[in-house]
Amino acid sequence: MSILEYNGGCVLAMAGKGCVAIASDLRLGSQAQTIAFDKSKVFKLNDQCFIGLPGLLSDSQTFVDKLKFRTALYKLKEGREMQPSVLSHVTANMLYQKRFGPYFIEPVIAGLDENGDPFISAMDLIGAPVFAKDFVLAGTSSESLYGMSESLWREGLEPEDLFEVISQALLSAFDRDAVSGWGAVVHIITQDEIITRKLKARQD
Amino acid sequence: MAVEYNGGVVMAADSRTTTGAYIANRVADKLTPIHEKIYVCRSGSAADTQFIAENVKYWLDMHGVTLGELPLVKTASSLIQRLCYYNKNNFMAGMICAGWDPVDGGQVFSVPIGGVRVRQPFAVGGSGSTYIYGYCDANYHENMTLDECLEFVQNAVALAMARDGSSGGVIRTTVINEHGVERNMIPGNALPRFSEY
Repeated sequence: MSILEYNGGCVLAMAGKGCVAIASDLRLGSQAQTIAFDKSKVFKLNDQCFIGLPGLLSDSQTFVDKLKFRTALYKLKEGREMQPSVLSHVTANMLYQKRFGPYFIEPVIAGLDENGDPFISAMDLIGAPVFAKDFVLAGTSSESLYGMSESLWREGLEPEDLFEVISQALLSAFDRDAVSGWGAVVHIITQDEIITRKLKARQD
Repeated sequence: MAVEYNGGVVMAADSRTTTGAYIANRVADKLTPIHEKIYVCRSGSAADTQFIAENVKYWLDMHGVTLGELPLVKTASSLIQRLCYYNKNNFMAGMICAGWDPVDGGQVFSVPIGGVRVRQPFAVGGSGSTYIYGYCDANYHENMTLDECLEFVQNAVALAMARDGSSGGVIRTTVINEHGVERNMIPGNALPRFSEY
């Protein structure tokens, strides 16, 4: 059993037309046993940047606190909010600092840059980044998520359509994973607003 | 799980088979017939339990033909115990043998890992069973009606499926009594739901 599979969980982010969506399941487990149904892996750092941190929950919570510190300090020094592409590089750098004793998390970043263009990226636990135009994902159901996303995603999705696509992809994928699921939360980020919805899912 | 009620037995199981964390089969049938009115609940290694069930089915069939009557549930469970005990170092199989015969009526025999055989009013097994010992002890009583018994097993299995990652899918039930055998299935969207915060 890998330490990245101990708590279970998955995150999916997709880009649409002038919007991004990021979603995660809500399960927290201790291997096979389910402990909680309300632990989202997606955290808001500012109005432009959301980060999903699936993997070992202990490291997710520690790392997001460090990120909140870095984004707050950035805002004080620069006088502006941290953009998602900058967050991506900061995260990668922080993870590589721990190259030989890493944080057991696989970050997924989604947001809109200052021009309103969608930005998504993901990286492995030691900070190797990937910048994609369509979707990025991580977690215990990653293989199923890749299959669903490749099939359902298409270019130019409006916010409401993007919501449908990301929800169906996530639900169908984690229903094949024994350690993910038990509900989901989806955030749709547009220039004007951030819509957060909870999905009703199988409780098994 | 299998439960004795006034008239026969009710058996219920989930339908999830996993290889690691991946759900290989989400609609598996874990309630296997080994004779007309004797079924087994299978848990543990799928390969081992399928092998044991097929073997016992063959021997029971021969025995039933020789006897000229319906074989007894205690005979069937004894055959399972024989295989599980003498091969205990190689098998990982937890079985619950339950059914109805004309001599002793409805009976439930548990043959967990290691090969002990014990008759019980009701038996639970599998990785999800640990989460429902309390619920079952609190809610079981003797001589339940069929409807009470069905509600008991459906709630118990649904609770186990919610907490155990290795359990899930649909709830399959089998009712065995002197009139025959009735098989049923409750799909995922019709499961009893409990607290979801």
